[in-house]
Amino acid sequence: MTPSSSPGGGPTRRAVLGGAVGALATAAFAGCGRSGAGGDGRPLEFWQFYAPQSQTQPDLAAQNEWFLSAVSDWNAAHPEQVRPVFIPNFTDPSNTRLATAFASGSGPDVFLISPGDFLRYYNGGALLDLRPYMEAEAVDDFIGEVLATRVVGDGVYALPMEVEPLVMFYSRPAWEAAGLSEGDIPTTWDAMLDVAERLTTPQQSGLVFETTPGYFQNFTWYPWLWQGGGDVVDPRTQQATFDSPAARQALDLFGSAIRRGVAPRTLPAAGDVAGAFAEGYAATWQSGIWQVANFRANQPEFDFGVFTLPTPPDGVPRTVLGGWAWCVNARGRDPDAAARFVVETIGSTSDASVERLVQWCSVAKTDMPPRQSVDRRMRAAGVYDDPVMGFFREQALPTGRGEPRYPPVLYKAVSNAIQRVQAAGASPAEQAAEAQAAVEAFLRTYDGGSLV
Amino acid sequence: MTTLTSRARTGGDEPAARGRRRSVSPASRARQRRETRAAVLFLLPDSLGLLVFVFVPMVLAIALGFFSLDGFGNLRFIGVANYVRMVGDPQFLQSAVVTVTYLVVLVPAVFVVSLLLALLVQQKAPFMGAIRSALFAPYVVSLVVVGLLWQFMLADRVGILNRMLATVGVRDVSWLGDPQYTLGTVVVISIWFQMGYYMIIFLAGLQDIPGEYYEAARIDGANAWQRFRSITWPLLRPTALFVLITLTIAVITGGFDLIYILTGGGPAGSTSLLVYFVYEQAFLFGEYGYAAAVGSVLVLVLLLWSALMFKLTRGGRLDDE
Repeated sequence: MTPSSSPGGGPTRRAVLGGAVGALATAAFAGCGRSGAGGDGRPLEFWQFYAPQSQTQPDLAAQNEWFLSAVSDWNAAHPEQVRPVFIPNFTDPSNTRLATAFASGSGPDVFLISPGDFLRYYNGGALLDLRPYMEAEAVDDFIGEVLATRVVGDGVYALPMEVEPLVMFYSRPAWEAAGLSEGDIPTTWDAMLDVAERLTTPQQSGLVFETTPGYFQNFTWYPWLWQGGGDVVDPRTQQATFDSPAARQALDLFGSAIRRGVAPRTLPAAGDVAGAFAEGYAATWQSGIWQVANFRANQPEFDFGVFTLPTPPDGVPRTVLGGWAWCVNARGRDPDAAARFVVETIGSTSDASVERLVQWCSVAKTDMPPRQSVDRRMRAAGVYDDPVMGFFREQALPTGRGEPRYPPVLYKAVSNAIQRVQAAGASPAEQAAEAQAAVEAFLRTYDGGSLV
Repeated sequence: MTTLTSRARTGGDEPAARGRRRSVSPASRARQRRETRAAVLFLLPDSLGLLVFVFVPMVLAIALGFFSLDGFGNLRFIGVANYVRMVGDPQFLQSAVVTVTYLVVLVPAVFVVSLLLALLVQQKAPFMGAIRSALFAPYVVSLVVVGLLWQFMLADRVGILNRMLATVGVRDVSWLGDPQYTLGTVVVISIWFQMGYYMIIFLAGLQDIPGEYYEAARIDGANAWQRFRSITWPLLRPTALFVLITLTIAVITGGFDLIYILTGGGPAGSTSLLVYFVYEQAFLFGEYGYAAAVGSVLVLVLLLWSALMFKLTRGGRLDDE
């Protein structure tokens, strides 16, 4: 009889406990091992925020269906399988899922990327050049302004799937209640603030600019900067150009809207534009083309209008073009297959590839097209006959510039300036100078993709 | 006590005791080995867990503070550059000031409010159980939910608080959008959230104080304040010190969820606590090395604070003995 046996021949309590400890440890370490990525024949993972998900809302269901269909088309024709992985809250830059996956060496094979994140991933060596997988004709088919922020040197490191311009949305009922009509649509900043004053009531904000600090607020502010000829970094010389009259007046626009009491300090209805309009909490709001789908899905009867961003004295009409792009993890399990998947699905000259983007921009979503061939088909299909889509195509898109791809330090310098002027009433001149100094300091040691 | 007694018993007979130790039988030694082995097996899971999930990550995090790491496997040793950068980083310094302000206001406020509540709910009155539960209830709600609820209540123009204030002529106060008010607002919400938990701890301390002391004091003619000053406060000191230590640690390392939901560190950095700053550096900017260095400084501050408390309480003893 050994010490680990009971007098009856069965295991003792100590033996059972010892065995349990051993089993737990084995399971724990085995579990750790399984969590690592490896070339084990598993499908390539495509991280995004559309599918698979069970949604009853028509637009979300259509987007889910589009993604599943795109992936299944590829899977049916190729041995390298792709699995769509739905990542909740993916669009929020503060979502840590993607960052921690890359930090632990287990990033997805294919994922969606915004311009705000582009350089961080490119400079980290995480993005694969897709140009070798593309026909020259297909590269040229992408709209230059849209592709520019995904190109470094000769390489194409992401393919845009949509273009999302910013405009001003307004509530027709609120405007009518204030005695305003389409003839009062402002074309200058001063007129915009005057109109907003007439629309402001104890419950209703006349004009809403983004207030939450973050990449999105910077994104909404850039067109006001560009309208006066300003920039954060000169795309040609790569020198800091932030401290300029254009930056000072754009900062002051956000600050004066608060000072005059026409813009709120926090977003009405937690940022839900359609909800805020319907409840009478806001009358005019700077936002993007995605709100069209939001209105149609959630406030289909609501009467809203759109107009282009007003300009400062001597300014030029400018807006910013947002939108997500597909990219390939250069350190993924099979970057070659992943690149072929991305290019074949949305970046080839094939009929299927072009039609897929037509469906995405006009059926699954209401977006502007990233490719000229897609644009032509959408026009031929009468998509732009819709007054709102026609407005975005003819008036907003031509004044657009791609969302800049600034690294976090530049983003933060600009964000601080906006926040301090807008929320804390700081001097635009001082904040522009401070941001300029921060940008200059950063550029002295910056070594990475060009800042455009 | 057991130790002292056994020492006293054997103290006068040292050589005999050594002799007994030398004459331990083989059977006894085998039993001792088996018991040691069992003890090791019992301790092993916890020890392994602590080693793998606490000690190793902590050491790695401290080590990471001496590297530049971009989150894509590009690692470069940079010595104390992250710590030097911290000293000259206005964002870090602003966050440090915000954190100290938050700490200096919140800790005494929660301490006093929860003590007063404990004294209140200690009284015998109808529905006191329900009142205690109501005061404790906020603590069991997720901070994310707490943040969302307060966000709705404090909304500009249309939030319930601003609607109430409007009836008395106070308009356009932005509790979460004006840097003058945001940190104060977060402090008030934090007090509301935490007071119930510390109230329960104080209540437990109060219920340990023998009632005879109060009876004797009443017979001697002591009023309520004299009873509190001479009986309650001295006897509540161990509990008060425990609350002070745990509350300070909770305030320095916590608050992230609330800030994330309510203000996102804004407006204009007015609520950017150091924990939020660490998160922002690591997960928004990919500055893992710098974030680890700031995190290490926070750990150091907490260690110093704990050491000070241990010194003041003579090695963690919270009573007067």
